[in-house]
Amino acid sequence: MTQVVFDKPQEHMGLPLPHGKVAMWLFLVTEIMFFTALIGVYIILRHGTPANSPFTWPAPHQVHLVEWIGALNTFVLICSSFTVVMAHHAAVKGNMKNVTTYIGITLALGALFLGIKAYEYNAKFQHDILPGHIGESLPIPAKGEHQDGFSLSDLQAIQREKNSNPTGMQYVHRVTDQLNAIIADAGADAKLKEDCAALVDEMRFKTAGVDEKTGKPVLGRDGQPLTGYQAPLSPGEVGERVNHILHEHEAKEPHLTPAIPFGNLWASCYFAMTGFHALHVFGGIVIFVIILLMGLIGKLGPQHASLLELTGLYWHFVDIVWIFLFPLLYLV
Amino acid sequence: MSTTGHATTDDAAHDLMTKAYFTVFIALSIFTAISFIANEAVRQGWIGVHTSFVIIIGVAVIKAVLVGYIFMHLKFDWGKVYFIIVPIFILGIMMMLVFMPDIVIAWQPGQHPLEPPVSTTGTR
Repeated sequence: MTQVVFDKPQEHMGLPLPHGKVAMWLFLVTEIMFFTALIGVYIILRHGTPANSPFTWPAPHQVHLVEWIGALNTFVLICSSFTVVMAHHAAVKGNMKNVTTYIGITLALGALFLGIKAYEYNAKFQHDILPGHIGESLPIPAKGEHQDGFSLSDLQAIQREKNSNPTGMQYVHRVTDQLNAIIADAGADAKLKEDCAALVDEMRFKTAGVDEKTGKPVLGRDGQPLTGYQAPLSPGEVGERVNHILHEHEAKEPHLTPAIPFGNLWASCYFAMTGFHALHVFGGIVIFVIILLMGLIGKLGPQHASLLELTGLYWHFVDIVWIFLFPLLYLV
Repeated sequence: MSTTGHATTDDAAHDLMTKAYFTVFIALSIFTAISFIANEAVRQGWIGVHTSFVIIIGVAVIKAVLVGYIFMHLKFDWGKVYFIIVPIFILGIMMMLVFMPDIVIAWQPGQHPLEPPVSTTGTR
């Protein structure tokens, strides 16, 4: 009699990987999704700007981004990725003294990255390149300057949308305060103060008559006495004149908020992406501090090679995110 | 004898890995310089914007692959974790694609001409 015997297949529990590594990869894929959302939003908003318009997505120089500083920060993170992988390598070999040294260098490089980022953030605050602060409106360029590739109806639609935006008046109020602060500043340049005072004067609503202070007729923008009234400047016109003052007095770096079409969207994306990335760098630094302390008090051993590998995985992921943020924000 | 043999093999493997890490580090540094130069080349008018875009994004992808493949040890672990990573990339790309029609394509020339509203005053 023939008997059939079925071999019961051998059951494997889990992946052929340490649990810690599986957990770290699962964590990293959630992080990939998080940063994909941020970067994806940036790409879509950037390419969602009108194709046939003189108003394009802000260029790096408009928002005071310096390319070589971004490249330097990229190099700093690449160096730190190399040192952290060497730390793990040294741990596998059991050379714990080298592990401590490499982790110390990685920690210093991470801190340097955050220091450079803080310097860049400070420049944004100095120039008031902040979400919700930037003027969005600018007058449509004179015919002939951008006459190819867009229709007047497109421009009118864009302009109508921007002028109806309540942030326009918020921008005018903010700039008025800034202009008055420069005028009142005893240490400010005389020509700068003169230009600011002229702009404040242009921004006022005027009617024909005699100026109470000077006793002379009220003058219009053309320098002639007013016969009727003069409407205040629109947010777009204010932005144009502020940009002109900033250009004329570039070396003095006056604290005036510029008008940059799509500038607020850019600033929101920039601070969201680089801010969350910096938070991740800070998180890595905290872990490196703990590992460094363990190394310094002699508590770090070859048994911690797995800890170093997982920390390295996290740190390399942070590096990869910056590898994409750098070209998207600073270059293309 | 055999212990010495194992030790020699391990040392050789470690040296090989150290060499690979250092090579990747140098490659990453050179690629960063290439992307910076490509950006500068556009300013100088040596290459077009689209060419520069392809170079810069291509370089970024290569850099990310190098970091993942060598530094993150996907060279050894890819077969064990690919099923976690691949779906995320598919979902990430899909997420961007679903927003494209409304936000990006709507602004392209000739698709939806924006006409100013017709005045309703003074028609009679």
